[in-house]
Amino acid sequence: MSDKILQVKDGNIVSTVNTFLKGLLEQGVVQALLVPQEVPSRKTAFPVLVSDPKKLDANIFAPALPVSTASALSKITRIKGSDKPVGIVMRACQLRATIELAKLKQVNLENIMLIGVDCLGTFSTNTYGAFSEKDTPTDFILKGADTAKYLRSSCRVCKDPVPAHCDITIGVFGMDRSKELFIHAATEAGEKAVKDLPDLSDTGSREKGIKQVQEEKNAARAAFLKEKSTIQGIDKLTEFFDACINCHNCMKACPICYCKECLFESAVFDLEANKYVAKTKNKGLYKMPVDSLLFQVTRMNHMILSCVQCGLCEQACPNSIPLMDIFIAAAENAQAEFGYMPGRDPKEQVPLVVFRENEYHDVGEK
Amino acid sequence: MEHFEPKVVGFLCNWCTYAGADLAGTSRIQYPPNIRAIRVMCSGSVDSVYINRALFEGADAVLIGGCHPGDCHYINGNYKERRRIVLLKNILGTLGLEKDRVWLRWISASEGQKFADTVTQIVEDARKLGPNPMAKKWNV
Repeated sequence: MSDKILQVKDGNIVSTVNTFLKGLLEQGVVQALLVPQEVPSRKTAFPVLVSDPKKLDANIFAPALPVSTASALSKITRIKGSDKPVGIVMRACQLRATIELAKLKQVNLENIMLIGVDCLGTFSTNTYGAFSEKDTPTDFILKGADTAKYLRSSCRVCKDPVPAHCDITIGVFGMDRSKELFIHAATEAGEKAVKDLPDLSDTGSREKGIKQVQEEKNAARAAFLKEKSTIQGIDKLTEFFDACINCHNCMKACPICYCKECLFESAVFDLEANKYVAKTKNKGLYKMPVDSLLFQVTRMNHMILSCVQCGLCEQACPNSIPLMDIFIAAAENAQAEFGYMPGRDPKEQVPLVVFRENEYHDVGEK
Repeated sequence: MEHFEPKVVGFLCNWCTYAGADLAGTSRIQYPPNIRAIRVMCSGSVDSVYINRALFEGADAVLIGGCHPGDCHYINGNYKERRRIVLLKNILGTLGLEKDRVWLRWISASEGQKFADTVTQIVEDARKLGPNPMAKKWNV
């Protein structure tokens, strides 16, 4: 466990971190890196898997999260883990998702070096793409501009933007961004990777910076939860989901929804024409396709305990249903019920796979 | 007002509650005929999707009947179902839907009387709650 400093060259923290990451590849600390890099059109920044240091043009501060980095890691390691060290740069919410996926045996963390980065928040892909080349979204967010109206709602009210459970942390909170970045190594592999960097003598300002960000987010979060608490009851809820076309994009974007064949994409609920017609006798009429609310509420039942509140579901919705307006409250309440926090501890088990004999007697029997 | 007769969907465990219902029948114990029994192999096999579906189609109450704690034919399916129902009720609560329409009860194969009493109580409570408003929602 050691705290270090990465000195910023020419006031450019993006290229400074890029050089640091290049070093990891060149020194063979990692054989490959999964790291955010802007696409050539600069419309967004995707995670790229890169092994050639010359090709690396990482921008880990680009405020974009078009896809789940945790899902990308799952894709890479699910069949078989890596024999060679691979580094992966992630935001806090994606680290939480990675821990959850590891518990669910969808990520193999063998030889994976997790590099966490302080998250300043992300913009939707559309917002990001609308920025001009002169004032890039990265510059905009790094110079500390008021980003509240640009951020995705899940980022505006982020639960915790500080990464946890990683080998190396790259920090900006509480640091003078034009001069130095905070580097923390938590494991032996991490120590080895940062051994050449100078030590940080005083962590006081870093701790203060983190506290300040967390207080800001918590206040925004409390206001958000209060404002959205009116979305309740059958009328409001059906109205909320009225534009849902049952495309399941939210499920595909979700890092936690990992089932290869979702129940809702199977033939379980397919009926013959006669049965569909008979079914209309129940209510008189049905919206087609059927079961959009059933899908939403059941998906919630299946994944909410591991929900890391990354907001990718909302970003994926073609009809802009503000899913986080209800998912944040649902996640908070459900996780509190079981005293569970996704991503908190890799050793903790997901609540629905374990049980105690003596619990919840009020539900089973009064 | 139209006469309201509650519809109750029951997911009954093959080894306990379903046999308990059978016993209630063979013992000629009277109970309201409002329950539609669905035999399942274990209460632990009742996913939230089936409960939600019943509620969203307009069922006035849903009963999940399993073996008493410790008696599960598959060792611990009922314990796992209990957690699932806790979660389901928590979510329904957050969404402002009627979680009191969902009942989880442990009824063994020898408890015919308990089965009849449970169904009677569920139907009485459903009458007090009134018709499930979901029965009128076609846009779900």
